[in-house]
Amino acid sequence: MSGFRKSMVAMLAPSLGLIAIFILVPIALTVWLAFTKWSAQTPFSTATFIGLDNFREIFGTGSVGRDFKGALANTALYSLMSIALILPLSVLFGMLIHQADLRGANILRTILFATYMVPMIAVALVFSKLYSPSEGPINQILGWVGIGPLPWLSSPDTALVSVVLLNVWQQVGYFTILIIAGLTQIPQSIYEAAKMDGARGPALFGFITLPLLKRTLLFSAVIALINAVQVFEPVALVTQGGPVGSTNVMTYHIRRVGIERAQGGLGSAMSVTLLLALVVTVTAVFALARREDRR
Amino acid sequence: MSLPVTTPAPGAASPAWRGILYLLMIAIAVVSAFPLVWMVLSSLKTPAEAMQTPPVWIPGTPSLDAYQKVSELISVGRSFANSALIAGITTAGILVTSLMAGYAFAKYRFRYREVLFAITIATMFLPPIVTLIPLYRLVGSIGLNASLAGVIVPNLANAFGIFLMRQFIAGVPDELVEAARLDGASEFRIVFTIVAPAVAPALAALALFAFVYHWNSYLWPLTVLQGNSSQYPIVISLSRLLSYNRSAVNTGLVMAGATLAVLPPLILFVFLQRFFVRTITASGMTGQ
Repeated sequence: MSGFRKSMVAMLAPSLGLIAIFILVPIALTVWLAFTKWSAQTPFSTATFIGLDNFREIFGTGSVGRDFKGALANTALYSLMSIALILPLSVLFGMLIHQADLRGANILRTILFATYMVPMIAVALVFSKLYSPSEGPINQILGWVGIGPLPWLSSPDTALVSVVLLNVWQQVGYFTILIIAGLTQIPQSIYEAAKMDGARGPALFGFITLPLLKRTLLFSAVIALINAVQVFEPVALVTQGGPVGSTNVMTYHIRRVGIERAQGGLGSAMSVTLLLALVVTVTAVFALARREDRR
Repeated sequence: MSLPVTTPAPGAASPAWRGILYLLMIAIAVVSAFPLVWMVLSSLKTPAEAMQTPPVWIPGTPSLDAYQKVSELISVGRSFANSALIAGITTAGILVTSLMAGYAFAKYRFRYREVLFAITIATMFLPPIVTLIPLYRLVGSIGLNASLAGVIVPNLANAFGIFLMRQFIAGVPDELVEAARLDGASEFRIVFTIVAPAVAPALAALALFAFVYHWNSYLWPLTVLQGNSSQYPIVISLSRLLSYNRSAVNTGLVMAGATLAVLPPLILFVFLQRFFVRTITASGMTGQ
């Protein structure tokens, strides 16, 4: 081996080796295990091939299928609501901080971003108290303006939205930073030229800011989706998937089936389904964006 | 960081409009800070105050009793040490592996480079739950389950770090690397004594990101430690306080524990945030 080859391999081996062993091999194992009956308490060699049975079961009409399809729907709804709130808010906050020329904008940026540093477990604990129907300050404040009291985490109608809101509270600062990064890439001269032509506020936003932020927004949406799929702590700790399964989301459900109940094959089939759903969604979003670009 | 700003066209920003924007800004800051302020205030309440309806906002007689109680229920020192070990070693590992791989991807030309890089980047978008079940078994089969090593080893390299380092090392002039080679420096020497200082701000940002992420991470340690409570990081020890929290008497207790867990990442953030913002802006990771 030449000296160059040797040093190239030496530079790449530690990281790519770790990624191969702890990410790529497990992906392959997940796919294989999805077609087997296997207890997660026993070695991989005990897995027996059963074809598509796991997939039939998780999409079937039995209780396994009902729970899984519920979790899939909850996660889809949760992700949609998160993205629908995070993107507009982060654009608003980003423009307020970056474009409005307000004193103290950097302080706001710091406060917003600081929430992203807070461990999710602490967020979950604090919000479980903030949401408390009788002792929590949120219902108290809403009461002052004549709203409520709302049941928040204790009703199947509002529990999932409540988890979405705490997630938005934690993450919106991070996405605001991404949007600011996108805004700094828009040349000031474009705005000035448009203003010469008489364009004002909403027109500047609609014809310059938004179109030129498109790639940033697309990237943000994908990251927000991947983050939303990972929601775990508030569900595991506070709601346990309830009430009546309304907050039973994929990460929580797959872990409960595959690790806690040790139904490794069944859990793996759920993981594969989740992965496929994500790949299809992300590919479709990018394909749509590209087609619009060509117009 | 002072940001360039549009010179407002005459009449574009009336004082009234600016007043509204300032109010909006203050409202956002208040909503954003409120949960954390409430957390700290509640940790200082007496049990009676903490369960009052409607809630009292400012503790009448602030006391640190809740913190005392937390340290009796969970081994705070031990949990902090575990968290520091997990986050510290993982971060150090990520910095080293990312520098090396980032250097190779940025400065070496070899076959399959783009393919390898693309595969690496793809793993950045993988939700951990997808590999959790076999990973749990895999780590167990190499004898690392229920130990800190099991928490740390699978995370010593990550795609985000490699991506970030490649982006910034690509901006380091080739002449700098060539000159060091002519002086007879080994490739490792070049990476750690010439390239690393040149990308120091990005390294600082990566360090902050990795440390906070692994200090806060919950799903993987919970899964791999399997109830071995002597190895619990603070975020998992904290979750055990909730069983005491079922009776509302101990709200203050949970808030005290949460306050303790939040402090290290927030303190680190205050010192390193400027690197972080600058790095995200300059990395092109938002797709420009």
